[in-house]
Amino acid sequence: MTAPPPADRPLTLIVLAWNCWHLTARCLDSLLRTRLDAARVLVVDNGSRDETPAELAALAARESRLQVLTLPDNVGFVRGNNAGIAVAPAGGDVVLLNNDLVFTQTDWLTRLRASAHGAPDVGVVGCRLALPDGSLLHAGTYILPDTMWGQQIGALEKDVGQYTADREVEGIVFACAYLRAEVLAAIGGLSTDFQSYFEDTDYCLRARDAGFRTRLCGGVTLVHDEHGSTQGDGADFSGLFQQSRRTFTRKWRHRLAARYRHELLWQSLINFPTGYAMSSRELLRALDEQGVKPVYRYLYGPGTVFPVSEPENSRDYRLNVIRARPLPRRPPVAVVYGQADAFHSNRGRYKVGYTMLEVDGFPPDWVRQAARMDEVWVPSAFNRDGFLRSGLKRPIHVMPLGVDTHHFHPAVTAHPNPLGEYVFLSIFEWGERKDPWLLLQTFNQAFSADEPVRLVCKIMNRDPMVRVKEEIRRLRLDPAGGRISYLFNLEFPHEQLGSLYRSADCFVAASRGEGWDMPLMEAMACGLPAIATDWGAHTEFASERIAYLLRVRGTVPAVAKCPYYAGYCWGDPDPEHLRHLLRHVYEHRDEARDRGSLAAHEMAEHWTWQQAAGRIGDRLQAIQAAG
Amino acid sequence: MGESPSPAEDPATVARLEARVEALEAALARRSRELRTIVRHVCRRDLAIIARVQAGLAIPALASCDAELWNETTETTSADVEEALQTLWHSLVPAETTDDGDSGP
Repeated sequence: MTAPPPADRPLTLIVLAWNCWHLTARCLDSLLRTRLDAARVLVVDNGSRDETPAELAALAARESRLQVLTLPDNVGFVRGNNAGIAVAPAGGDVVLLNNDLVFTQTDWLTRLRASAHGAPDVGVVGCRLALPDGSLLHAGTYILPDTMWGQQIGALEKDVGQYTADREVEGIVFACAYLRAEVLAAIGGLSTDFQSYFEDTDYCLRARDAGFRTRLCGGVTLVHDEHGSTQGDGADFSGLFQQSRRTFTRKWRHRLAARYRHELLWQSLINFPTGYAMSSRELLRALDEQGVKPVYRYLYGPGTVFPVSEPENSRDYRLNVIRARPLPRRPPVAVVYGQADAFHSNRGRYKVGYTMLEVDGFPPDWVRQAARMDEVWVPSAFNRDGFLRSGLKRPIHVMPLGVDTHHFHPAVTAHPNPLGEYVFLSIFEWGERKDPWLLLQTFNQAFSADEPVRLVCKIMNRDPMVRVKEEIRRLRLDPAGGRISYLFNLEFPHEQLGSLYRSADCFVAASRGEGWDMPLMEAMACGLPAIATDWGAHTEFASERIAYLLRVRGTVPAVAKCPYYAGYCWGDPDPEHLRHLLRHVYEHRDEARDRGSLAAHEMAEHWTWQQAAGRIGDRLQAIQAAG
Repeated sequence: MGESPSPAEDPATVARLEARVEALEAALARRSRELRTIVRHVCRRDLAIIARVQAGLAIPALASCDAELWNETTETTSADVEEALQTLWHSLVPAETTDDGDSGP
């Protein structure tokens, strides 16, 4: 049967209830206050033994939009929902809802429906779920064939507005699931192979097999009192869960394992607060999602140039699984992602070295080790040219990094300065390359203390030989000049960093050289206008169209503690131009805001981690094809 | 029959009140000298804190926002962005409310 067009299509909201009337009452009370248009609410009473039947009957007598289907006994989550689907109007869409939800968005259904009908092949749509304490509970699900244990994306992160764009996901939890008539017609209701648990992932996978995508509608957030609906139930949930897991494993393990097209040994670091580690985490996650099966091994440790053991827990389920995967005896391809003086550790049959540096060339030892690779990857043409200038003869591929646009986007929650000051933000590790002296002095000179403007510097220093306080004192900043505040040696959870950027008006980085510059990219993804030096790898994503490029007076020898820079040059940012740009942005805020918006769009369109991983996947395909 | 003087015109009361005013003026002068001494030796930010305490307002947590108050360390501290920013923004209030600005950048 062909389903009617969306505008004419019946829509039934199925609320499955079993005892716990207080939850059902709260759910229905909040639900019926939202905009439901012509949708009907069908409460399936799953054999409740408390006051639920009587209360529902009384409510249905008062509320014409509500119907009740009473089942004589509790038939479980799957059969209870299927009973509701069976009595919903044929050819209509349905939304499955748990009775422990609370609706706080009036237009939640309008948004969910629009998302469901945003493309013809969308079959299942879920939404963001938050806990009553405000933390995020769910923004989609995934399951790995290694463990067959479903995971909720974003679970227990502080909700700062992450995952608010609509996006395709592998699965959703069926606490709220919009099922289009087309998918119901194609695959029917929930599989009765399951009584409870895993039926939702199973349904999404079956829908995918039938040609329907599952989507997460980021514009809808419902409060979910998780497991509230089963409070007081004496059922053996652990037994039910394990039974469903065994059933699901039998049904899907091989199919899930078969989605991996390539195996890859990734030798790097992931559990340290460094640029390589942070980007390594993102790449591994994105590669795994895209059908490249990475096996991770720590690149450093005792006996290496970085003789520190890596903490075992990545605080990320997928990364912990990737880390625990057994090492193939002779991996077909291995990538060492780190400084090139560790390339010799590469254990693959086909060896790839992936590195970056912030100056205009590479140390001789790096070039020697790079020459023993089958190919070398760098994130930028800036670094490719540096290797070529340093005499490397191996094939070099530019493999740009990316940015997490789920957590870094313009709609992330801001905590703006209540005094209304215009806030410049800079994030850096104190040291020669980031040139904080230039930034602090120039800002201090560019503004006066009575102007409503402030520079906030998030500074990290792990070098016991560096006394940041003393270095700032030595600058003799003018008390009558631009005001500066500091966030010193604070480590913020990654998922909250977008809030830091969004709480500022402009990002500024006056560094001498960059191998990529993740903070700059994150700030731009958040929609901040950014001032950045016109020299280094970041100029490949930060152009004059979407950022403010700080002129350099040329290049100068890279004098720094870092031994890798010796003999090479980096940029020499022009203080006068920095002063000009700071004032220009401050005085042309609308223009700056527009440029920030363009930057956010550009980052989301072209510079995501998914795209970065996609390029790696393509390259692995080419390597495999070449034999 | 003449009226007896009101308590306010009673010479003994007037003398007592004049003595009281004299004592208060002396106390005020002494307190002013003390405050001038304090102002010479205590930094402006501490004065702002003293002013907030006397006004019954909360004392801002300043340690991470003002270089002068840092405990120089290479240890990092886990923090919540919202809390850190509230602390930062809160720390600006006393500085902005003083007559001639805060203790500088």
